[in-house]
Amino acid sequence: MTHFRLESSRLLEVELRNERVMTRAGAMVAYDGQIKFEKSILGGEGLFGALKRRVGGEGFDLMTTSGTGRVYIAQNAAEILLVPLQNEKIFIESSSLLAFDDGMRSNTVFAGLRGASSGQGLFTTTVEGTGNVAAISDGTAILLEVTPSEPLFVDPDAFIGFKGNIRQEFVFDVNWKTMIGQSSGESYQLKFTGQGLVYIQPSERR
Amino acid sequence: MIYNAQNLPVNGNINSYSFCMDVTGEMFIQKGKMVAYYGALKFESLSAGAYDVLVKESFNSPLYMKNFVVVTGRGKLILGDRGNHIASYDLEDGNLTVRSTNVLGFEPSLICQESTVPGYLTLLGTGKFLASSNGAVHFLEPPVRVDEDALLGWADMPSPSYRYDYSYMRGMSGMIRSFVSNRSSGEEKQLDFTGQGTILIQSSETGLVGSTNLETIVSQTSSLQQHELQQLSTHLQGLMQNR
Repeated sequence: MTHFRLESSRLLEVELRNERVMTRAGAMVAYDGQIKFEKSILGGEGLFGALKRRVGGEGFDLMTTSGTGRVYIAQNAAEILLVPLQNEKIFIESSSLLAFDDGMRSNTVFAGLRGASSGQGLFTTTVEGTGNVAAISDGTAILLEVTPSEPLFVDPDAFIGFKGNIRQEFVFDVNWKTMIGQSSGESYQLKFTGQGLVYIQPSERR
Repeated sequence: MIYNAQNLPVNGNINSYSFCMDVTGEMFIQKGKMVAYYGALKFESLSAGAYDVLVKESFNSPLYMKNFVVVTGRGKLILGDRGNHIASYDLEDGNLTVRSTNVLGFEPSLICQESTVPGYLTLLGTGKFLASSNGAVHFLEPPVRVDEDALLGWADMPSPSYRYDYSYMRGMSGMIRSFVSNRSSGEEKQLDFTGQGTILIQSSETGLVGSTNLETIVSQTSSLQQHELQQLSTHLQGLMQNR
């Protein structure tokens, strides 16, 4: 397992010992040691996975970073959220994904209709296995627990990801008054039920 | 730190960029600033008609009606504003004027009115309100001159007036500037505060996205005469070509 450490809240340090990580293309800001960067055409998902990503509009490029040394990763001075996984699966917005261990499996899955309103893809990215995942957050990320008695509602633009046994629904908060009058601007929400953890950013994606 | 409905702060900051509000009744919030909530909350536009009495009593600003919504119900509401800092303020029989884009929410015990300064809202009375800023907020005492882009608002004091720095405008460099571009740097024009009270500024000159006074300008064009509208149109076209 590669070693992820936050050098500051906005800079990620990854220590590699003849290992590989997948990172968002162009997110490397500095490195030392013997490190090689390669654009990953298939994104570690095989030909079919890469095709799904293209079709699904989850358009972001990954690169493989391999070798021995230290790599510093950052993206637009956004804050970085570290999520260590122990044989778990995280669902994450691809626009928030920054880096993950190469040993983990990533995939593109259909996420429902929310893409239609928030301008994000209809598909979302999953990362599964044991290792570290780094995500970017506009402002310090907030971790919110979902329990069977306390469902959680989230603005699709503030959503980063979730893990656990959670069901995600797309809800319209629209009644006849909103249809006639002006929209309240909060008409589309993601509803999370079940047991698990939801990651959000205190900002609406631009 | 993992939060749930029980351990979220009660009317307090989760971090500098987000605020958790305990909603038990009604509350005005700026449209689109909800990032998440627990509980049973409803968001409705002010123009929907269901809150006519509330709007009449507390929201005396038809110009900004489409920028705000009413939250009702019971629950924990988390607000965020594009990664800007958020702070809550308690007003006690006060009079506070804030840039309209920075007003994130307020209790209906406050009365919201349009300030005579375009793009600003005045909150009157007693109650809690939330405001965002780019960087932390600083408080100043008059007399002081403030850059317009850094100004968040002012409390319990007279409205400011503009102060122009003639030497900055007239000097050699000012001449060159006026040839090179017709956009001024903004440093020659400041807001002049006098009297007693408190001034709130943010530690950045980056205004928040979205013009603060477009609504005001548009609403005022209705009083213009035909030939004045013609002049305005020519002026706007000139501006568009130069940008």
